[in-house]
Amino acid sequence: MNKLQERATDLLKGGTVKLIIGFEQGNNKIRPFFCEKPEDAEKLIYSDDCSTNNAVYLTKKELIGDNKIAIIATYKEIASIIQLNKENQIKKENLMVLTVDKDGDVTELTSFEEMEKFCEENTPAPDPVVAALIEKIDKMNREERWAYWKSELDKCIRCYACRAACPLCYCNRCISEVNCPQWLDPWKSTLSNIEWQINRVMHMSGRCTGCGACAKACPLDLPIGILTKKMSTDIKEMLGEGEGGNVLSTFNPNDKENFIH
Amino acid sequence: MSRIGVFICHCGENISATVDCERVAQEAGRLEGVEFATDYKYMCSDPGQTLIKNAIKEHHLDGVVVGSCSPRMHEATFRKTCAEAGLNPYMCEIANLREHVSWVHEKGEATTRKAIQIVTGLISKVQRNKPLNTIKVPVTKCALVIGGGIAGIQTALDIANCGQKVIMIEKSPSIGGHMSQLSETFPTLDCSQCILTPRMVEVAQHPNITLYTYAELDKLEGFVGNFKATIRLKAKSIDYSKCTGCGLCTTKCPNKKIPSEFNEGLGMRTAIYVPFPQAVPNKPVIDKEHCLYYQKGKCKICSKSCPTGAIEYDKPDEFMTIEVGAVVVTTGFNVLKTDFFPEYGYGKYKDVITGLQFERLASASWPTLGEIRRPSDGKIPQKVVFIACCGSRDPAKGIPYCSKICCMYTAKHAMLYQHKVHGGDSTVFYMDIRAGGKNYEEFVRRAIEEDHVNYVRGRVARVYEKDGKLIVKGVDTLLGAEPVEIEADMVVLATAGVASKGAEELAQKMHISYDPYHFFAEAHPKLKPVETNTAGIFLAGACQAPKDIPETVAAASGAAVKVVSLLSQENLVREPIVAVVNRCAPPLFSTCVGCFMCETICPYHAIEHEEIKDRKTGAVIKTIAKINPGLCQGCGTCVSFCRSKSIDLEGYTNEEMYTEVMALLNH
Repeated sequence: MNKLQERATDLLKGGTVKLIIGFEQGNNKIRPFFCEKPEDAEKLIYSDDCSTNNAVYLTKKELIGDNKIAIIATYKEIASIIQLNKENQIKKENLMVLTVDKDGDVTELTSFEEMEKFCEENTPAPDPVVAALIEKIDKMNREERWAYWKSELDKCIRCYACRAACPLCYCNRCISEVNCPQWLDPWKSTLSNIEWQINRVMHMSGRCTGCGACAKACPLDLPIGILTKKMSTDIKEMLGEGEGGNVLSTFNPNDKENFIH
Repeated sequence: MSRIGVFICHCGENISATVDCERVAQEAGRLEGVEFATDYKYMCSDPGQTLIKNAIKEHHLDGVVVGSCSPRMHEATFRKTCAEAGLNPYMCEIANLREHVSWVHEKGEATTRKAIQIVTGLISKVQRNKPLNTIKVPVTKCALVIGGGIAGIQTALDIANCGQKVIMIEKSPSIGGHMSQLSETFPTLDCSQCILTPRMVEVAQHPNITLYTYAELDKLEGFVGNFKATIRLKAKSIDYSKCTGCGLCTTKCPNKKIPSEFNEGLGMRTAIYVPFPQAVPNKPVIDKEHCLYYQKGKCKICSKSCPTGAIEYDKPDEFMTIEVGAVVVTTGFNVLKTDFFPEYGYGKYKDVITGLQFERLASASWPTLGEIRRPSDGKIPQKVVFIACCGSRDPAKGIPYCSKICCMYTAKHAMLYQHKVHGGDSTVFYMDIRAGGKNYEEFVRRAIEEDHVNYVRGRVARVYEKDGKLIVKGVDTLLGAEPVEIEADMVVLATAGVASKGAEELAQKMHISYDPYHFFAEAHPKLKPVETNTAGIFLAGACQAPKDIPETVAAASGAAVKVVSLLSQENLVREPIVAVVNRCAPPLFSTCVGCFMCETICPYHAIEHEEIKDRKTGAVIKTIAKINPGLCQGCGTCVSFCRSKSIDLEGYTNEEMYTEVMALLNH
């Protein structure tokens, strides 16, 4: 057993936590693993290659209840936890955040300051494929862009996997399910598919941590991850970083907002 | 099925001249849910209102759309009409067929179609409307006045004389403000102190006024009728219950070389000091920054000399929380110092002074006992130059506005100088003479014609020192921009009036708006001059813009009336146009997920946390947002920001607005 598995066994045996959310090796790829028994701890691995952002499970009341749990977190999870905390969705006393360094040593991040420091030090390099696609679309004119998104989003089957995979899509009732009034047509059609993505991106603006889980979850491999990505970059450029929540909901006299001038 | 009544008003000819009102009524009458539709020449008149009332009763209407002028004009009228006929007033909608249609379009088919569309949208909306009831908020019967200058004094006295309680806080050791520094006041030349000090005493002695000097606002929470203010009572280092105000300590204090704020630096004071002899309260405070004990740990001479043992060192600032129903901000203004002006020597010439410093030189008391003596050597200046508009009306200096009081006080200064220094010579450089006010123009003419003040229209480019004289270089634009050079003994700058220090911070604490120059903003420049955009917070005096004394006093009395009318009510009745967070059946309780982004965005701090608890165990099941209806102003910002659409604005719910828009689009 490696250090991670040993630590997990201890935590579960001692009853410190009821559940550890981590990763295991699946048939073809790494997948999320919910470890509840000490004897299962040896299945736990640590990897950056899991397409799921496991922070998505932290807002699932039916899964974690009022129990104390641990999460084995990579950059993606930690960035999401920080944002979730700003949005009052984390009960810190019920959550233990563990990371594993390259030597296999397990570290617990006990405060949000530590998590923020971790994120600063471990920011992954931008994905060249995503960057290239954004650049390509930026160069298109309005008509080309409209045609591009129409053809891409026409394929969408409205399975809402993007919504399910996103740690920050935690509403009890999504706007897509509101029917008084019916903001979005619930069926698959090009226009309402586009409307849904616009809605998703607007709701993510100023919040998205750029983990890319939405794009990886899409069964049709639609480039929806670049929508949130581009929106985050634009917002950062235009409004700067927000304090205590969402840059769009807070005001500071030193905000950039150069586009208004 | 709804039973809607549609009433189209001709507004005399205001609407009917371009809109076919009869047809609008006919077409509306054909729409689903409309029970009755008619048009009438003056719907707001008594017969018009009777027509609506009768129709409501006869046709058992459950909703009304009135196509008339702007809702700003007659929404209240028609809602009242509906209420009188037994219909909930919020089941009445106004289609603005005047400002939105007839006044802005030519006569024609398209104009009438637009009117029909607007009416159609509202017919759809009103069918979704819910009856609403007004909100009643209790009122704490006490007002807080921030700032003890003439504005604060007048406001406090007027409120107190109406029988309401007032708490006044003043950040400096005495009330009186700038007015107490002035020598004589235009246009009557009566002594400022003589008219002010009796009022200062009245404030201190009034049974309805509680005065806290050396106190600042730390925090303001709550809402109209129910504010909770935290006041910082700065440590005075003196027990006022023991101090008799004998002043012995101030004569013994060894540190006597501190520039006196009251004398604008022209006189000195001690570290333990009463700002001026007529101060209210007339008891000293210790200025910790200059006190030898506080700075170096020893001295305590004041303590040894005090006959009543009133000195208490090392006491911390105290905090006091008070509940008030209304707040009046009367924090006044500042004037720019001479060091703001590089062209006039950056403040390094001792004999280039500000108007406020001149007030002190002309004052009968300190520092010269009313003799005009220049600061550098105490000599009586034989030639004085007054420069108006120093900074003001100069966009290059960042102050495009007119400071308003300078024309008048400069005329007064020159006049006072001529009265006091016989044979003296005074020149005023001015841009324009703005003397709009009762007896103001006559006053300026008197300075020019009777007191022979030399008025030169032109600006001064530079003031510099040469052989002990101040050389003032300017132009006379009335003589073809001819250069003028004057050798002066003293130069008085009418420096711009600016917002008082800390105004921006104070505005942010209270959530009131302010302009780019940090003057507080009124709710409406003409019709709500003493109100702010935050209900229950009022303004008076120069914290709003430069103002003279008569204007300040008028505004102060105005603000006082607003406060009294608010405090005299048992309950405040508010429009029920407020946001609400939805509630639904367990286990969800509400679709609100408690992200509290609404809390960060709400400009009125109206969002609170509500814990939904298990009825048996008391355990918290969920924390959701709750909107305080007393604070909510119905702006709807939270509604648009809520991702899960868990917040709705009563009277303008998402469903109502969506229905209206869809009806407009589909018609």
